[in-house]
Amino acid sequence: MFIADIRKDFYEVVANQRVVLLVAPDIDALCACKILQALFHCDQIQYTLVPVTGWQELGTAFLEHKEQFRYFVLINCGANVDLLEMLQPDDDSIFFICDTHRPVDVVNVYNDTQIKLLIKQDDDLSVPSYDDIFRDEDEEGEDSGNESDEGSEPSGKRRRFDEGAVERRIERQRAKREWEARRREILFDYEQYEYHGTSAAMMFFELAWVLTKDTKDMLWWAIIGLTDQWVHDKITNMKYVTDIATMQRHVSRHNHRNEDEENSLSIDCMRISFEYDLRLTLYQHWSLYESIYNSCYTSCSFKLWTLNGQKKLQEFLADMGLPLKQVRQKFNSMDMSIKENLRDVIEESSNKYGMKDIRIQTFGVHFGFKNRFLASDMVHATAALLESAEKDDSETDNFIKALDALSRCAKETKFTLQRLNLLTFPLKMSSFFFLLFSLCRSNIDRLHSGIALAKKKLIAIQQTVASCICTNLILSQGPFLYCYLMEGTPDVKLFSKPMALTLLCKYLLKAFVHSTRNKRCKLLPLVMAAPKDVEKGTVIVVGIPPESETSDKKNFFGRAFEKAAESTSSRTLHDHFDTSIIELKTEDRSKFLDALITLLS
Amino acid sequence: GGLCLHQVNEAKSEGRAKLIPSIKLRHCCLLRNQRCVTAYLYDRLLRIRALRWEYGSVLPANVRFHMCAEELQWFSQYKKSLASFMRSLGGNEGLDITQDMKPPKSLYIEVRCLKDHGEFEIDDGTVILLKKNSQHFLPRWKCEQLIRQGVLEHVVS
Repeated sequence: MFIADIRKDFYEVVANQRVVLLVAPDIDALCACKILQALFHCDQIQYTLVPVTGWQELGTAFLEHKEQFRYFVLINCGANVDLLEMLQPDDDSIFFICDTHRPVDVVNVYNDTQIKLLIKQDDDLSVPSYDDIFRDEDEEGEDSGNESDEGSEPSGKRRRFDEGAVERRIERQRAKREWEARRREILFDYEQYEYHGTSAAMMFFELAWVLTKDTKDMLWWAIIGLTDQWVHDKITNMKYVTDIATMQRHVSRHNHRNEDEENSLSIDCMRISFEYDLRLTLYQHWSLYESIYNSCYTSCSFKLWTLNGQKKLQEFLADMGLPLKQVRQKFNSMDMSIKENLRDVIEESSNKYGMKDIRIQTFGVHFGFKNRFLASDMVHATAALLESAEKDDSETDNFIKALDALSRCAKETKFTLQRLNLLTFPLKMSSFFFLLFSLCRSNIDRLHSGIALAKKKLIAIQQTVASCICTNLILSQGPFLYCYLMEGTPDVKLFSKPMALTLLCKYLLKAFVHSTRNKRCKLLPLVMAAPKDVEKGTVIVVGIPPESETSDKKNFFGRAFEKAAESTSSRTLHDHFDTSIIELKTEDRSKFLDALITLLS
Repeated sequence: GGLCLHQVNEAKSEGRAKLIPSIKLRHCCLLRNQRCVTAYLYDRLLRIRALRWEYGSVLPANVRFHMCAEELQWFSQYKKSLASFMRSLGGNEGLDITQDMKPPKSLYIEVRCLKDHGEFEIDDGTVILLKKNSQHFLPRWKCEQLIRQGVLEHVVS
């Protein structure tokens, strides 16, 4: 059921209890988690945080904790399946689900006791009404009871009654069949397309606001959560703009204290500001040239994988009067005179080259003298950390690193005795309490390493896109486009992760739409496969909806993949919370694809 | 001092007075070495004393391996001294002054599990499963021991 009052029905319920937080691996979930953690710290609500990367891990985590915990909070997972059926919990387990995945499973919507949805009832849902889907079994029982009563009437009247009874029965059965057919249709329409609702981070920020415990840090996390939805193409432009306006109101509210001349805040305090900034990814932490080269929007508009495109880029820069030497430098080292009006200058020139939306509404933060970040910078950095392909780090290690990168303060690490073999220390150490070594490793460093990883990821994406377009790796299969990244492709390990592959997919489709002349192909969705695990012999398959300005971002590949896998009995793993991302055995690739083509034709 | 004087007198009586400076020099060297060794041993004692405060009354095997028998004996006597002092404070119950050495900022702290530790019971009977990379928000006093052992890490945010 939907929660009406998030404070009364959620926060006050868990206030004196222990809670398990099960968090999905996406940036919005991480931000939501941080906001909730901060609230729990305020009120000393004890919790255990477990990152879960898929349905299997969710099940395992639930089994491990169900004996000791009664309340479970699921962030960005759990809404789009019948959770009670999947987990088989005891009657006293309560699940609070804050999930952006839509459509919400009907059982979750109509369960009154154990499932509480932390979702606004009007959040773009169009849930079928109860009567259309659930039919009370009592009606059946009554009818059959009547039938037997009627059956025991005296024989004279029996035939007439019998006829009447039989007719009524036939009528009821016909009505039932009709109802069931209609029900199947309604459910099919409802569950056909997968899409996303309001950011989980924004939901929890609203909770904080209602409790009047919201801080600037929480506001910043909510903004990052929203920006994550935009960067990874989960919500429509319209929704993004609407949500930005909501956030802007909160930002103004938090900022009005800064305006006072006498009580100006220290430079170290966090300041969030609304920015109508350039759509060039990470440009303030890179050089302007590299940012233009590796950002999806500019790269596709110029078609930078062609020689012609690169010439156009040079023209563009010359048109703005920016010398190449300046533009290839680190952004912070560029001349002040160039940086001053950069945004307006670029906007003007972009209009001439057909890029009308080079600027986007967003927010930026700055604290201290050196630290300035845009929300999209944070999203890219954290996403790169979350999915970094380092050999030693497990997925939960990456989760922790990404979570840390979202904090601002310095982190202390105590060296314990086991790490320093003290009694064999040289004599030079003299102070008595040197035992307690405090090593300050700032979370900002973590963030910067994330930015470096993000740059590598973007360059890899750009190069892969260029090579795919130039070697015509994207094939039209009829109802959709298909691209397969071969084993030996450079950086292919990066693309074994779902978010990175989805980003690549999106950029590739955009680039393809700009480069092809075939009008029909421009309207097709894209399915992409990349090797996931060489030892197990699996590939990861992702499907995204067609590219268009007014796209509603609704994705039908979830159901399509399920059906195709069923019909060919391919060995697939639908473990990811996004149903349009699956894992498939490499050998079953071709028959799966054929089934998909037949299904969608 | 006594040995030096004896050797000097011996040298004088044997008529080898020119050895006296070397005897004196050697004596000074010996004294210096003695001071160095004493300083080293004293420094070790100070570190061992600090171990009781940082680590608790049971030392791990790899630390005990590096201590000689006398040091172990000194440590156990120091432990006893400290224990009887702590018992004498705070009325009948005594007071554990090795806890909370830095004034705590909050009753509960957020900790991250650095390695799989299994189940961990807290005061009201709830059992927490300490799995690697899970994070928990728990009462500070329960976590201190595990933080010192390196199983948990305090997360500041």
